[in-house]
Amino acid sequence: MCRLLPLLMITALVVLAPPAVGQTGQPPITSVPVLSLGPEPLGSLPPVVAPPDNPQTTAKILLGKKLYFDTRLSKDNTISCATCHDPAMGWSDAGPTSKGIGSQLGGRRSPPVVNSAYNPLQFWDGRSPSLEEQAKGPIENPIEMGNTHDVMIRTVNDIPGYVEEFKQVFGTSPITVNQVAQAIAAFERTVVTTDSPFDRFVRGDDAALTRLEKQGLEIFNGKGHCTACHWGGHFSDGRFHNLGVEPIDPAKPDAGRLAVTKDSADFGRFKTPTVRDAALRAPYMHTGGEKTLEDVVRLYNLGGGEEDDNLDPLMVPLGLSEREVQALVAFMKRAMTSINPEVADVKPIPAAELPK
Amino acid sequence: MKRLSIVMAIALGLMAFIPQSGQAIPAFARKHGFNCNMCHTAFTKLNDYGQRVRDNGYQLPGQEGREKNVFQIAPPISLRTSVGLFVAHKPSTESGVKSTTSGFHLNGLDLLAAGVMHKNISFLLIYTPRIDEPRAIYQPGGGDANPSQLGALESANIVFSNLIPDALNLRVGRFEPAYHPFSSKRSYYLLQPYEVYTFTTPGNDFVFDDNQIGVEATGHLSDGLKYGAGIVNGSGPNPDNSNAKDFYVNLSETIGRGDGQSSGQRVGAFAYYGWQPARKYSLYIAPMGDEDQKNNKLFYRLGGDVSLNWRTFNFKALLLHGADDGDLNRTLSGEDYSFTGGFGRLDWAGLMNNRLVASALFNWVQPPDYDDARTIKAFSVLGRYYLGDWTAVNVALHCEYTYRKVGDDNGDTEHQFAALVDFDF
Repeated sequence: MCRLLPLLMITALVVLAPPAVGQTGQPPITSVPVLSLGPEPLGSLPPVVAPPDNPQTTAKILLGKKLYFDTRLSKDNTISCATCHDPAMGWSDAGPTSKGIGSQLGGRRSPPVVNSAYNPLQFWDGRSPSLEEQAKGPIENPIEMGNTHDVMIRTVNDIPGYVEEFKQVFGTSPITVNQVAQAIAAFERTVVTTDSPFDRFVRGDDAALTRLEKQGLEIFNGKGHCTACHWGGHFSDGRFHNLGVEPIDPAKPDAGRLAVTKDSADFGRFKTPTVRDAALRAPYMHTGGEKTLEDVVRLYNLGGGEEDDNLDPLMVPLGLSEREVQALVAFMKRAMTSINPEVADVKPIPAAELPK
Repeated sequence: MKRLSIVMAIALGLMAFIPQSGQAIPAFARKHGFNCNMCHTAFTKLNDYGQRVRDNGYQLPGQEGREKNVFQIAPPISLRTSVGLFVAHKPSTESGVKSTTSGFHLNGLDLLAAGVMHKNISFLLIYTPRIDEPRAIYQPGGGDANPSQLGALESANIVFSNLIPDALNLRVGRFEPAYHPFSSKRSYYLLQPYEVYTFTTPGNDFVFDDNQIGVEATGHLSDGLKYGAGIVNGSGPNPDNSNAKDFYVNLSETIGRGDGQSSGQRVGAFAYYGWQPARKYSLYIAPMGDEDQKNNKLFYRLGGDVSLNWRTFNFKALLLHGADDGDLNRTLSGEDYSFTGGFGRLDWAGLMNNRLVASALFNWVQPPDYDDARTIKAFSVLGRYYLGDWTAVNVALHCEYTYRKVGDDNGDTEHQFAALVDFDF
């Protein structure tokens, strides 16, 4: 018998052991706050919880709605929140990326405002911890609204109608940046869709989904691996993943979450968007590079996009057949589209009806 | 009466092949709200995602420390069993007996618990309780009651994951060893998945298929290159086994995306090197130890494997060569006992969410010429259809057929058929 065999085995292991670089187990993301442990089962959304320092009131929500549609917050009075987060476009825009002041193109797809109240972090890279903080960002962004907070506040304080409404809502004057942000955030917390066929199905209405949509739901939660990230009532883990999506400019790949955390493990990671109402806001991904939901599913079916050392270890080829792709898309198209009238019927406030 | 006894004996004898424990763990599906096919191509076969979760200590890859641990959820306990009709037909035997037997039987029961205790520390426990439904063929160790399943702790281990991220995980306790390129416990086949895994040589109690007690390191050496290495007691009832530790390594390389379970193309090699006592412990002789350094004798198992995937087809094959020291050879003493065996298997999954699977399996074991009465050739096919809904597809209607021939050209042949319901929750 070969007594050298043990030695050979150990030697083989030592020789074959280069420094560990694994695609399947990246270091834990310690820099991301863990706001909820999951995954959690799919289900209906819980009620929105407003922060204690910005309670919801009817007057504040209405004020926030007016600000949301008011282009006077921008430098040249052309851009409002609704320009890029248009209720008629699924609270996003036509894309692929947004057009800001002076027709400048943004670097990323406009994230949907709908259900953003459930995001633990805002923006694709999660740089903002709240809707209030998020609301301040685009105003100062040179390629979005192109303004400064100081100029914007002077503008709003020069509008007597706003001064009066802010005083009624907040009880103080002059108007501050924080108050503007709080009012917009209060409005955004009402942009919540909870009445999709899926919601009715999980409440017990078996007829709410077609047979194909039920099959799509089963694949969504099974072979499609969608719920690995799109879980819970929000259909999102609120975390950040690198799917290997082709960058808009390959010469300048978007660093994603890395820009916030400075952690190289976060390179190319972007926040998981909700699947709710996804059919209303094509194109998809942070680049807007996937034109249809079919395209999105096909990307996942391949195990993600381009070869990327930092590809999320949750990404594996799925082996979905064409029929399974269609079932999955059918589920996302109709079964995840809500018909909340208070959200669906939100119309832009005409400039003539805004405070003077 | 005599004929009935023979019929019963064969029918129950067939049951001896059945209690293959499975390791689908619905506790994880329940914890996350996942459908079974998140981790399984169809239960019990793991897909790439499930393989990564298992390799990562039952934590979702890249999400370590961000899921609920066992103290934050309901007790993570699952059960699996199967019940149904079994038929065996022997058209001929060397003794000339021709027989057909059939009967309904309850298979063994697995009680499983598994979960994450702390970030990167997880556990798995599988207990198979004693079931006193008697079987006709006496099984050593079962006592007079001759139960159809012995009480056993099939698995009890702790996994320390990511000691070096993605490169070093340690599994300590009793576990399914990494030198199994394909798990018989997560195979669709229930009658006899892999003959070469359970083939025992004369005088050597080692069973390749057995779970092992010891410590095992696993991880990735590079993107697609995976290793496993362990030191274990070895298997067999003789207490002297544990005097000399066995060890093993395996390496596998996956080309393309995936882990070779359901996507990507994987090739691998494995080696097990062990010691077995040449003299046996009995009721009347205390364990002898190995003071004279002569009791324990060497044996090894070497092999290679391949797993190829195309769409929802998966082809896997394994070749194993084994050799025992001549002192362990009870058939031809002094002569090293060498054998070769393996299998080729083709799986297909279809319908929505892989509700239907079909598979064909060819097994063979070729012992040395002087022991060709133990030659095995077997061909099996199966189909499984899964019932359930979007929350789980955990009930399988299972049909399996095996043609099995043991011995040389004049050896015994047997047709085995099982139609049963396999379920876990």
